[in-house]
Amino acid sequence: MTLINLQQVTKRYINGADCVTALDKLTLSVKEGAFLGVMGPSGSGKSTLLSVLGALTRPTTGTVTIDAIDVYGLATEKQADFRREYLGFIFQSHNLIPYLSALENVMLPLAVSRFSTTEKRRRASDMLARVGLPDRMLHLPQQLSGGEQERVAIARALVNNPPLLLADEPTGSLDTATSRQVMELLAELHCSGQTIIMVTHNRENLEWFDRTVYLRDGLIEKDTGNSDCSLSQAM
Amino acid sequence: MRLEHIVFHNLRRRKGRAIFLVVGLMIGVATVVTLLSLTDALSMRAQNELENFGANIIITPRSDQLDLNYGGVQLGGVNLVAREIEQVSLVNIDTIPNRRNVATIGPKVLGTVEVQGQRVMMMGVDPVAEFKLKRWWSIAGRPVKQGAELLVGDTLVKRFGLAIGDTLQLNGQDFTVVGLLAQTGSQDDQLLISPLLAAQATLGKEGKVSMVEIAALCHDCPVDDMVNQLQQVLPGTDVQAVQQVVKTRMHALDQFRLFAWGVAVTVVIIGALLVFVTMMGAISERTREIGIFRAIGYRRRHVLHLVLMEAAVVSALAGVMGYLAGVLATLVTLPLLDGGKAIWHWNPTLALAAVAAALLVGLIAALQPALRASRLEPSEALRAL
Repeated sequence: MTLINLQQVTKRYINGADCVTALDKLTLSVKEGAFLGVMGPSGSGKSTLLSVLGALTRPTTGTVTIDAIDVYGLATEKQADFRREYLGFIFQSHNLIPYLSALENVMLPLAVSRFSTTEKRRRASDMLARVGLPDRMLHLPQQLSGGEQERVAIARALVNNPPLLLADEPTGSLDTATSRQVMELLAELHCSGQTIIMVTHNRENLEWFDRTVYLRDGLIEKDTGNSDCSLSQAM
Repeated sequence: MRLEHIVFHNLRRRKGRAIFLVVGLMIGVATVVTLLSLTDALSMRAQNELENFGANIIITPRSDQLDLNYGGVQLGGVNLVAREIEQVSLVNIDTIPNRRNVATIGPKVLGTVEVQGQRVMMMGVDPVAEFKLKRWWSIAGRPVKQGAELLVGDTLVKRFGLAIGDTLQLNGQDFTVVGLLAQTGSQDDQLLISPLLAAQATLGKEGKVSMVEIAALCHDCPVDDMVNQLQQVLPGTDVQAVQQVVKTRMHALDQFRLFAWGVAVTVVIIGALLVFVTMMGAISERTREIGIFRAIGYRRRHVLHLVLMEAAVVSALAGVMGYLAGVLATLVTLPLLDGGKAIWHWNPTLALAAVAAALLVGLIAALQPALRASRLEPSEALRAL
């Protein structure tokens, strides 16, 4: 079943007399449960694609449909609700709130939900346990290693059980061993049915994706198509 | 976890900025509270003085004749064809709407009698009321009570060589001197003062009074309204308010109050600017953080809520601390002013107003930064994406 559908999506950035086309009439469909890798050189439009998918950057033209919802047909506040309910973000530099503990960082998306405090705490601690940090809950981000911070970021992205996980270079600042651990975790999530779209520069990550899209100048240069769960390949 | 949780954690993390804001606003609130508390205390002191000042309303018969003068107040004709006030009409005073503000009614009858061949002024008074009105009188012997008793003014004591126990015959009636009035520097020094009934009989003015002095409790009471009310129930009289001295002082206090409010408004504007600039700086500093909030699904109003709540917490704290500091400053300053006679009174309205004003100023000043924060596009805030 198709979860994401981009139709003729163009995004232009205009700065004075300069006009940069980051995405050029891009059309893309992603099935539910896919682990899609997005690769390409700098300036190819990878981050813009992720931003457009994440209801963060309105495309200049074209439509973005996720789970049959026209994302940019929603009002601004409804887009925020959409992000909270449908999307989980993993940022390149973790982007944890430095004055909140790991548990509180994971609870952040729940802070504006109607769950009781006990339920919020339970969900967040379950998620931290799931990413392998049951004993680091009360640590502040600066007390955690890069890999642990990335795991907290993944837990935060998943705590609302979103249908789609968007990851922007999640291994970009990690060493090889830690990168592998993070990719294993994402692959495990993928095999449990989580749809993931991940932007990366690292060709070593290719093995984890069941589909890879190569971008160049805002266009799809190559699309490997769908394949099965990558966990078995990685293991 | 709730949004409040994030606010308190952020304040705790950015202690320096929070303390700077609290102290800045606190100084503003304390300055305003000190000035207004001082004005309040000095005003109340002036009001109390007004109450103890003696008579502040004088009722005299309306007269077109050349008048005698008593205490700088025009009196109805005493020497000429006397027009007096009927004593029974004074019960009407108890019917005015502001009767509760009437503390003391001092009726007086005035006339002249002959002592050792010289004409002197005699004044009959209601002893209880009169000695309440003339708290500054200093008497050797005792005040008159009833019957043919005399209290003699200082000038007459010296002129006629009178002493306590002496007897004076006035219009054929023997009066005993029971008290000698110490020098007052007023026309009281030239009076023979006796109980009202005895004076009326001696002067042939039974049932008449020449003037009435009234002490009205005037803390917040409308003296001018009372004058009009008395004028209506006592036709044929002139009712005048006598409060020039206190009014002059009240005028000075009004000027001080005006100055205090001027300073207050200036301080409030400075406080608002302080909050505005600090919050704008904080928003710039937290741009990325706000981007994260927006990206993970916080609505604009959630961000607005976060910023305004932070401003509210800081402002309310500054309001409470500023009020307490202001009270402390008032307590320290007050003994140095007005000879230490003015007393600080707790004013719940000022306490609430101080906190509410600090809160309001903080929220209004933070509104623009909060709106700016809430309007940040998450993609712009998060450069990473």
